[in-house]
Amino acid sequence: MRRALTILTGNPLTLTGLVLVALVVLAAALADVLAPFPVHRGAVVDFVNFNKPPSSDYWMGTDLVGRDLFSRILYAYRISLILCAVVLAIAVPVGVVLGVMAGYLGGWWEYGLMRVTDVFLSIPPLVLAMSIMGVLSPTLVNGMMAVTAMWWPWYTRLVYNITRGEKAEGYVLAAEVIGATRAHIMFREILPNCVPAIVTKMTLDAGFVILIVSSLSFLGLGVQPPTPDLGSMVAEGAKYLPDSWWLSVFPGLAILIAVFGFNLIGDGLRDILGAHR
Amino acid sequence: MSLLEVRNLTLSFRLWSGIVDVLHGIALSIAKGERVALVGESGSGKSVTARIVLGLLQDLPGAQIGGEVRFNGRDLASLSRHEREALRGRDISMIFQDPTSSLNPVYKIAPQFREVLARRTPRITLAEARERATALLQEVAITEPARVLDSYPFQLSGGMNQRVMIAMALANRPALLLADEPGTALDVTVQAQTLDLMARLVADHGTSVLFISHNLGVVREFADRTYVIYRGRIVEAGPTQAVFEAPGHAYTRALMAAQPRLTGGALPDIVERDPRFFDPVVLHGVPGC
Repeated sequence: MRRALTILTGNPLTLTGLVLVALVVLAAALADVLAPFPVHRGAVVDFVNFNKPPSSDYWMGTDLVGRDLFSRILYAYRISLILCAVVLAIAVPVGVVLGVMAGYLGGWWEYGLMRVTDVFLSIPPLVLAMSIMGVLSPTLVNGMMAVTAMWWPWYTRLVYNITRGEKAEGYVLAAEVIGATRAHIMFREILPNCVPAIVTKMTLDAGFVILIVSSLSFLGLGVQPPTPDLGSMVAEGAKYLPDSWWLSVFPGLAILIAVFGFNLIGDGLRDILGAHR
Repeated sequence: MSLLEVRNLTLSFRLWSGIVDVLHGIALSIAKGERVALVGESGSGKSVTARIVLGLLQDLPGAQIGGEVRFNGRDLASLSRHEREALRGRDISMIFQDPTSSLNPVYKIAPQFREVLARRTPRITLAEARERATALLQEVAITEPARVLDSYPFQLSGGMNQRVMIAMALANRPALLLADEPGTALDVTVQAQTLDLMARLVADHGTSVLFISHNLGVVREFADRTYVIYRGRIVEAGPTQAVFEAPGHAYTRALMAAQPRLTGGALPDIVERDPRFFDPVVLHGVPGC
């Protein structure tokens, strides 16, 4: 653990990632304290100060109805992170369990499960999420469902492949020989050997989930106004480029920081966890 | 009565392209406390025989098994899957070729040892398991059991892992130990040491051993009786001494001639098929065979 931490903080890029993610998480957690105008996360109108460029009062300017962009970005982070956590918390366990079962049990389990994941993977992710959102009403919960539905097959694939490899290892046979149950072998013997890959993928994915959710709301299919959301803020501001550049550039940068941070950590983890195998 | 009695064992695999026969009526028996070797080249059916005895192939959809395997007088085919699982790890255990890959790399030795002991004593506590494991590791001449128990398999040498495997295999005092080319992955001196150790321990505990190997030198040292297997058939059987001194079957003679010698010299090739290799089995005056 300590060794891992040393390596993690020893690499400047990974350290950058850690700092960026820490900033994002702090910003989201302390939004109520940090935001200069907490009420601006809702449907507030202040036409005196609308569409102002960045200033000492409004660090990132104001939007078209006079709300502070900085405050809204902080609250948008909160929603992005919650969404990201919920999506991964559902998609990863589902995908991992199905992957281990398909890989270890083989036979019809393998055929059935892997063909179902193939079907999901054959549809471009954004199209799949868009069609789910299009059929259902575009709400936060439906957004989570749509993104979760397109995410779990990747974990099934990943874990399935590792399980197929681990199944041939001596320790699996040794466990079978001492009469271990199939559940024990799948979840106590093989699964721990998949954890490094799963953790790495989760960290990388955290950034991509934020990106996908933002893309959805950029297309108007995600979180609905007046709830602040990075994607819809970029979409809204893009109409007024380049004059009111702050409307889309700051939310865009906010997305960049979060995705970039998670990706740097993911790369660092891959180096650490891949090293001793 | 024999501890293990295998009669007319046949095995075939059903594949897309048809049926492949692997074993053509294997017969062998192991008495209590006896050390029996099964010798043959790769692909002759040594390992699958061991897996059938362990009940690992019975549940495979494509495998068709005929004949009879009796362990302690009970026919394995008549047991349920659950009963067969109960035999494994308690009354029958196994040692493998590559000790390091037989241990799960993500756990330290201590918890893995506990899993093995829990087969016999389901409610064993971690402290009790540690105590038992320490005693068992000392039995296999490991001088610092505490350090070994707190290590991951990849932190230990191959010889050390092999000894851990032997200790685990004998931990529940099984009646039958299957040794599938133990230590083939290790260097020769370590292999010799661990085999000595294993020989001593099974003698102490009165464990029967089915020793599967292609290493004739080791077999000659270790086994009381030897079966020679060729293409899924037993071609020669008898006391090790007799088989080695007066090999009666053409295949056994070819196998013995293919032993590399320290003094060098070219090795004769064993031809793939020779009609004489399918001669009837040669038995060396074993009563009851």
